[in-house]
Amino acid sequence: MKQRERRLVSGDGFYVDDIELPNMVHCIFVGSPYAHARIKSIDVSRALKVAGVLAVITGKEVVELMDPLPATSNYSAIGWHWRTPKAYPIAADKVRYQGEPVAAIIAEHPYIALDAADLIDIEYEPLPPVSDINEAMQPESPLVYEEWGDNIQVHLEFNFGDIDAAFKEAERVLPVSWHEARVSGFPIEARGCVASYDKVTGMLNMWSSTQAPFLGRQYISSALRLPTNKVRIVAADVGGAFGNKLNWWKDTVVGLGSIVTGRPVKWVESKRELFLTGSHNRDVTWDGEVAVKNDGSILGVKAKFLKDLGVEGTNRGSAAMGMVPACCSVPNAYRLKGVKIEAYGIVTNKSPYCAYRGYGKDKGIKFMERIIQVVSRELDIEPEQVRFRNFIQPHEFPYKQLSGYVYDSGDYPAVLRKVLKLGEVNSWREKQGQARKQGKYIGVGVAFVVEPAGVAAPHCIYGGLTQARVSITSDGLVEVESDQTEIGQGSDITRTKVAANILGVRLDDIEVKRDTSDMPGSGVYSSRGAIYPTGALIRAARELKARMIKLAGHFLNEEAAYIDITDSVFHSTKDPTKRMSLKELADCVYFRPGPRGLPHDMQAKHEVLLTVSASWFSPNTTQNPTNTYATYCSGADIAVVEVDVETGAVSILKYAHVHDAGTLLDKDVVEGQIFGGIVQGIGEALSEELVYTKSGELLSNSYTDYVMPTAQDSPDIVLGHIETLSPFTELGQKGIGEAPPIGSKVVIINAIENALSPFKIRVPESPATRERVRKWILESQGG
Amino acid sequence: MKVPIETKVNNKPYKLEVEARSTLLDILRDELKIKSVHRGCEDGECGACTVLLNGKPVCSCLVLAPQVGGAEVTTVEGLLKGDELHPLMLAFIENHAIQCGYCTPGVIMTAYYLLNNLTEFTDEELRKGIEGNLCRCTGYIHIIKAIKAAKEYKDSGNWW
Repeated sequence: MKQRERRLVSGDGFYVDDIELPNMVHCIFVGSPYAHARIKSIDVSRALKVAGVLAVITGKEVVELMDPLPATSNYSAIGWHWRTPKAYPIAADKVRYQGEPVAAIIAEHPYIALDAADLIDIEYEPLPPVSDINEAMQPESPLVYEEWGDNIQVHLEFNFGDIDAAFKEAERVLPVSWHEARVSGFPIEARGCVASYDKVTGMLNMWSSTQAPFLGRQYISSALRLPTNKVRIVAADVGGAFGNKLNWWKDTVVGLGSIVTGRPVKWVESKRELFLTGSHNRDVTWDGEVAVKNDGSILGVKAKFLKDLGVEGTNRGSAAMGMVPACCSVPNAYRLKGVKIEAYGIVTNKSPYCAYRGYGKDKGIKFMERIIQVVSRELDIEPEQVRFRNFIQPHEFPYKQLSGYVYDSGDYPAVLRKVLKLGEVNSWREKQGQARKQGKYIGVGVAFVVEPAGVAAPHCIYGGLTQARVSITSDGLVEVESDQTEIGQGSDITRTKVAANILGVRLDDIEVKRDTSDMPGSGVYSSRGAIYPTGALIRAARELKARMIKLAGHFLNEEAAYIDITDSVFHSTKDPTKRMSLKELADCVYFRPGPRGLPHDMQAKHEVLLTVSASWFSPNTTQNPTNTYATYCSGADIAVVEVDVETGAVSILKYAHVHDAGTLLDKDVVEGQIFGGIVQGIGEALSEELVYTKSGELLSNSYTDYVMPTAQDSPDIVLGHIETLSPFTELGQKGIGEAPPIGSKVVIINAIENALSPFKIRVPESPATRERVRKWILESQGG
Repeated sequence: MKVPIETKVNNKPYKLEVEARSTLLDILRDELKIKSVHRGCEDGECGACTVLLNGKPVCSCLVLAPQVGGAEVTTVEGLLKGDELHPLMLAFIENHAIQCGYCTPGVIMTAYYLLNNLTEFTDEELRKGIEGNLCRCTGYIHIIKAIKAAKEYKDSGNWW
């Protein structure tokens, strides 16, 4: 058990940078200094003369040798306004964002490649850039893709329920708006891969820091014009991902580098390059109104939703598609009559946009939790009371939400009650009153999240494929494989535990295998690991166990109904003298007497008896792109903050979180996800921000300027669990990975607004940096 | 330009010819094949490449290789006793303080330094002590728990 952890703690990793192949060379990318410019000429002759440089790949080679990057989603087929640009991983004609690769250099050493980078002569014709979404929507704006005629990549309209009835019934209509800055996950290990092409067989082998090797294979083989069965990808140890490693556009160039040079090529992305070339996320603006009754009942929400997709939203990542869950997740935990959203996905001269923990659903949920704060404030009802009034009730599950989501189970009032108690809300509210008399500004924030998890969407690469294989080896040990790629979320631990529990074998007898593109499954994203691949694993393990029991009955001369297995030993519940170890059984099945010695009906099935593959699919998802999730966990957060009105600094005095993720597969793993997620959300709320200048230059391109939480910024967190089982999964488990940073971000913002209520400040955006907090205070005082 | 240096890494002496512009991180990874020292930001911001240089934690990406002439370097490999994990490492495993594992060796080296140099510390001091090591997975909570558990190992004499 915990073999991976034992390996990693002692430095024995298998991260991409640890991989060395004979004759391996290195790849670096050279990026554009301009956000928007035409490439007039590129001369690589001086770079090629540097000793140790093997090749320089520019847009010219890429256009000649590759197909355009495939679109990861395309809803134009169902009539949606959905554009997919023709995109290559290296710019050929013009650059559209600062840092966009204009060349890749393959050299014997990364430093040689860096030396050569300075010798590439490129003549640019700078074009006016557009880095502001509102400007990008103006008719006179510079165009990111001239052929489109405007910068609108996606325009969607969702009208859920009966919005007219909702607003007709309203006693008050309140304005609501909210903006989230551009942020991302930025794992400590950036992206990277090793590619090794064998020209005799035409096989491209790759090792990648990826969340989804099977999807990566599809993408890379398409771009490189290789048959899919000539590309194989092995997931290396992944040094954090958070959605940022769900894209392979740069990997295609590394593969091409190996094809061109005939040498294995390694690419380890620098941190600055990760900041500059994405993937980015958030950067959304909501503007609308909410219809309410005076008792706090929320009737409906109308809003315009703008998302800054950066350079391109469908090929270098999956940006545009995230708008669908953003809009569908607005109703969150509440019964509403109608929701109407008009959504625009706009391209600008910023880095590509792709997944980051929350993906899209986070945006709708945070908007709704900001709405609740507005309603609470304007109607002078405590925020938890607004939630209690509007919650979907425990007896209403499965609940068909307005947007089409089918909520599986939950007890939202119980979750909220529990967190109010753990957060000691009443006593903090008393302290808040006393503190104000002393000039101290304490605020209590509340947030509630229902996280749609486990997407299986049509017309995109995230269709919900999954696969697990469980095998007993000839010496009675267990091998587990699935597409639940280990990215630091703890899937090796949970897979070991789930398999051991079902099979009745010792934890130490289980080996979880590294994920590869051989395993047809979509990988890890959308908090799907606990749902899809785990579901497949459970089904495979159950079937395998049934076979094991049947075989043990045969050898022990006992009816299968009386055979049980504990700690890898079979025994008869009728006759305790009848025992055999799994090792003995495996030996019988494989060799002595071997398959020919088994009962004829078992032989006749033509199966490898001790290997079972299975899949899993959610019973509730449909072809409808607005109903694509399998489970819906819930969580509630309480944050108590103190705002120093002189400096704008925010400190967290208390943090409590209660989570209902159905059956917990492993408490440590779940808590690790929750703690890590909460702190990520706190970073987003207070300090993390990708700042672009008007000319499209990224100012926050390192950990110095992009301020992530350190150990000093992470609060003590009081945690509570509730387990309301999902009726639609194998063990009642639900996905939980993305909920924590959604709740923590918005609860901090709500708490800050509550602390600053004497100033009547409406927090318009995140992050609430010290500068912004001071600005809001000064503005409230007419300054 | 090559510079000859003599250095001791994990108690083993080495005579090396290093590129003047290479860093201690480069030498440890590329020459000595010590994989635990992770390339993070190469700007001294994330701490993933933290090693002990003459007993003190440094970001090995910020130290030029020629600077380590005559110095002693320790990495997590140097804390192993044969195949036996150091009690600090066990505390990390037992407290689920390793998620993606990329920051882990750096955090371990900083924690090892803190535990060997502070007999008592508050949570606040501990948080300050490891603030140079960024972790994106754990929110630091299990890491702090693990370091406190390691202190108990140390106080009970289970340490080296």
